[in-house]
Amino acid sequence: MPRYLAPGLGLVILTAIPRLAMAQASTEDLVRQGAYIARAADCMACHTNPGGKSYGGGYVISSPLGDIIATNISPSRQYGIGNWTETQFSRAVREGIAPEGHLYPAMPYTAYSGISDADIHALYLYFTKGTKPVDLPPERHTALPFPFNQRWLMAGWNLLYSTGKPMSAATTAAGGTQRGEYLVKVLAHCSTCHTPRNIGMSEDQSRFLAGADLGGWHAPNLTSDAISGLGGWSDDELKSYLRDGAAHGKSQAAGGMAEAVEHSLRHLTDADLDAIVRYLRTVKPVRNPNQSRPGFSVTTGKPVDLAVLDAPINRSPDALTNASSINGAELYTGACASCHQLNGQGTHDQFYPSLTSNTAVGGPTAQNLVMAILKGVNRATNNGTVTMPAFEKQLNDAQVASVANYVLQRFGNDAIHVNAADVTLLKEGGAKSFLVRYAQIAAIGGVSIMAVLVFVSLIVILYKNRNSSKE
Amino acid sequence: MTIQYDADVIVVGSGALGSNAAYELLKHGKSVIVLESGQSIPRWKIVENFRSSPRKGNHNDPYPNQPWAPTSFSPGYIENTGNFKFLPGMLRLVGGTTWHWAGATWRFLPNDMKLKTLYGVGRDWPISYEDLEPYYGRAEFNLGVAGSDTQDQSGQGSNHQFPARSTPYPVSPEAETYYFQRLKARLAPEGFNFIHEPNARTNQPWDGRPGCSGNNNCMPVCPIGAMYSGDVHARHVQALGGKIIENATVFKLEKGPDGKIVAAHYRTSEHKDVRLTARYFIIASNGLETPKLLLMSDVANASDQVGRNLMDHTGMGLQFLADEPLWPGRGQVQQGGIFNWRDGDFRREHSAIKHALTNTVPNRAITQHLLSQGIVGPELDEKIKDWAARWVDISTVFELLPSPSNRIQPSTTRRDALGIPTMTIHYDTDDYIEKGAAVAKADYAKFVAGMGGTVINDNTGWQNRDHIMGTVLMGDDAKTSVVNGECRSWDHSNLFMATTGVIPACGVVNPTLAGVALAIRSADIIAKEV
Repeated sequence: MPRYLAPGLGLVILTAIPRLAMAQASTEDLVRQGAYIARAADCMACHTNPGGKSYGGGYVISSPLGDIIATNISPSRQYGIGNWTETQFSRAVREGIAPEGHLYPAMPYTAYSGISDADIHALYLYFTKGTKPVDLPPERHTALPFPFNQRWLMAGWNLLYSTGKPMSAATTAAGGTQRGEYLVKVLAHCSTCHTPRNIGMSEDQSRFLAGADLGGWHAPNLTSDAISGLGGWSDDELKSYLRDGAAHGKSQAAGGMAEAVEHSLRHLTDADLDAIVRYLRTVKPVRNPNQSRPGFSVTTGKPVDLAVLDAPINRSPDALTNASSINGAELYTGACASCHQLNGQGTHDQFYPSLTSNTAVGGPTAQNLVMAILKGVNRATNNGTVTMPAFEKQLNDAQVASVANYVLQRFGNDAIHVNAADVTLLKEGGAKSFLVRYAQIAAIGGVSIMAVLVFVSLIVILYKNRNSSKE
Repeated sequence: MTIQYDADVIVVGSGALGSNAAYELLKHGKSVIVLESGQSIPRWKIVENFRSSPRKGNHNDPYPNQPWAPTSFSPGYIENTGNFKFLPGMLRLVGGTTWHWAGATWRFLPNDMKLKTLYGVGRDWPISYEDLEPYYGRAEFNLGVAGSDTQDQSGQGSNHQFPARSTPYPVSPEAETYYFQRLKARLAPEGFNFIHEPNARTNQPWDGRPGCSGNNNCMPVCPIGAMYSGDVHARHVQALGGKIIENATVFKLEKGPDGKIVAAHYRTSEHKDVRLTARYFIIASNGLETPKLLLMSDVANASDQVGRNLMDHTGMGLQFLADEPLWPGRGQVQQGGIFNWRDGDFRREHSAIKHALTNTVPNRAITQHLLSQGIVGPELDEKIKDWAARWVDISTVFELLPSPSNRIQPSTTRRDALGIPTMTIHYDTDDYIEKGAAVAKADYAKFVAGMGGTVINDNTGWQNRDHIMGTVLMGDDAKTSVVNGECRSWDHSNLFMATTGVIPACGVVNPTLAGVALAIRSADIIAKEV
């Protein structure tokens, strides 16, 4: 009910509507509210396989630990969450403990722990009454390697790292004073990707939203720092990026961020986008010590020698067939310049974005440039779908490195250089975390298994203690 | 004893038709080897070959012309003996000649397939539109075809969709260019029916391809891969475990004692001969190389029709300057055309006619024309600016009738670098299209008058349109046709043709989509038997 209605008028309406109809309208409103919360929390991106049925699961999340398969969260009684009570639902979403056991933190329950009681109720109503059951068995189950397949170990992890409490609906509902913080920290769970993780794979809160690597991509620094973060972006640019996945002259969304725009952010209200922008302005600045100027600060490309570019080439059949060149200029004109143009300025309307004034090219890492070349870009927006083809089948790793270096040299951060091995590593998902590298080695080494078991036992004891102290 | 085969199916040729057939067979779980005389080249390299080419008007120029895989433009490769120089721009590389086409993907009309029955000329197809309809839908899906679900594509001006479809077009049509809008606005009132051209230049992301952004360079190469080319399904074939052997020119199909084909023999670029066996064979080497291979192998020709009945949509053109700027060259290289003469009782007397509105950036054509008139200096610059805004280019095609004397044969005197015969083509135009040409020229006069135009050229003479049909035509009688309605050889039950050469009545529409649909249909049939 709109807040500005005079109490007297409200009373008239309330008495005029039969009780039953009002109860129905109220449930409908809550389902609608839940649908919006589900959008803001981006449940769709992971729990719907591209081309599959809504919330039917099956999407593969490539985690540093291995593939995690998102589950069916439709109201199917057999394969989904149709039999869950609201308490069970709340516990799964906010604490990571489903009736069947512990969830992996690919499900961002550490963020969702802050969901208000009102919103979790609306979300439960939406998933049980507002969505259609998908009665299909899963094609694949999560099967992480030992020791990560021991889901009960997550109890210990949760004890160490899961600390959130539900926020109050009074301040987090639309228009509330903490709405922006609630959207960023809790629903949109920005820190899941944008906050670096410590050796235990938990978010390092001292560097909240300072940027992190994920599956080869780099989720950039969202702090208010003027050089490494978003301090140099205007409000309009930030809002345009959140809504359309593109801020001309700054950056564009690809990889996981394209999915976040497609499934979640572009569906948010203007007021909520404004609230996000306002909150981001308050995030403690974190400067990357290796960065001295913003990633978008290279505004003009270095010129190219047309005489070299237009020199006659060998036109023998063998030469016309031979595609092994690692000449960055040749690769750029053949593969990139049709859209991004000879001098990297993109098209006039920026449908094809400029490579100059672009954080993917001028920033402190070339990861997103390399990943965009390899995997392409695919982003549905409210104004059509944006696509860049993937080049991983057309260019080998050395060629990707040389064209990336050409782009860095001419249009962006000419201080960084990538080689074929860097490209190969990113293609495979980037450097593995400490926990992944060492836990498996520890598990394989006979003596170390004892250490793991001791560690695990300790966790179990702590966990039991916590449970008993609750009761 | 169990016979061991190298593959369930061998496909000769990796173009759009061969690759789609191989892809469908792989989806059915069959093992497939594709033999390709050319090589695989990534798009960026072909774009770079084009960018650096001094011969931008030669559509084969960015593509290699290897001694062991000569393109049709290789000097002396095609020897002509008729009144018309038949010289289509065929390529030899993985993905085939759809690397350069304009992606026109019309369906034939039901009446196109009953030409003899309805109008007493030419031949009928042995299958009906309804037989092919579901496969058209699958072909359109594979190619990501953009088309209108509301137009009467027969050009007869009805206000409902025709021909009937069981599935909507996978992609909705692109917006009309200003050029198309203005021509339609001024000529439609004169009674000309403008129809949007369904096309495989997707305007939305499709199957890893980006949407067309109007580079206007479909021929010789789409620089971004928005336009469909056979390389898309050649890659899909490899992703599904199919094997594509490059530099493998098939020169002989080997007959077994039971009348089946038992092996394909190919020669490598190193002149090494290899024999591969399979249960089934699909020949998808285009409408010229396919009959040449059959004739060289002395197979499938009990009817003596192999290589005969060669048809193209032999055409002509009109260029004129309109009295207003139309800004041709923005967007797609073609977007549709005028279809009043697509079907009707007149087909008893003269050929069906399609007028396509060419929308290629005209600067090169204009400059060449002006230079040939001796115009240079500032006047040249001024005229290019003026003409490029007002240029109208109509590309007209005609429906040929099959004639046994129009034929392609292996050369008896010349051989290529591998020692394989080159080809001899005899092609005469006939009265049926000459009568059509008179009708088209009357239309030309109306177009020019309707646009307040000044003619630049309305007498181009006959031109190649690169739509090769008829050379291994299908029919319902083994005595008069090469393959049956399944595209299966009448003489060898395990030999199929996947080429537009099977088309026995050619209408006026670009035949590639029908070829892909027939190839998918053949693949389904083979999958049930292997």
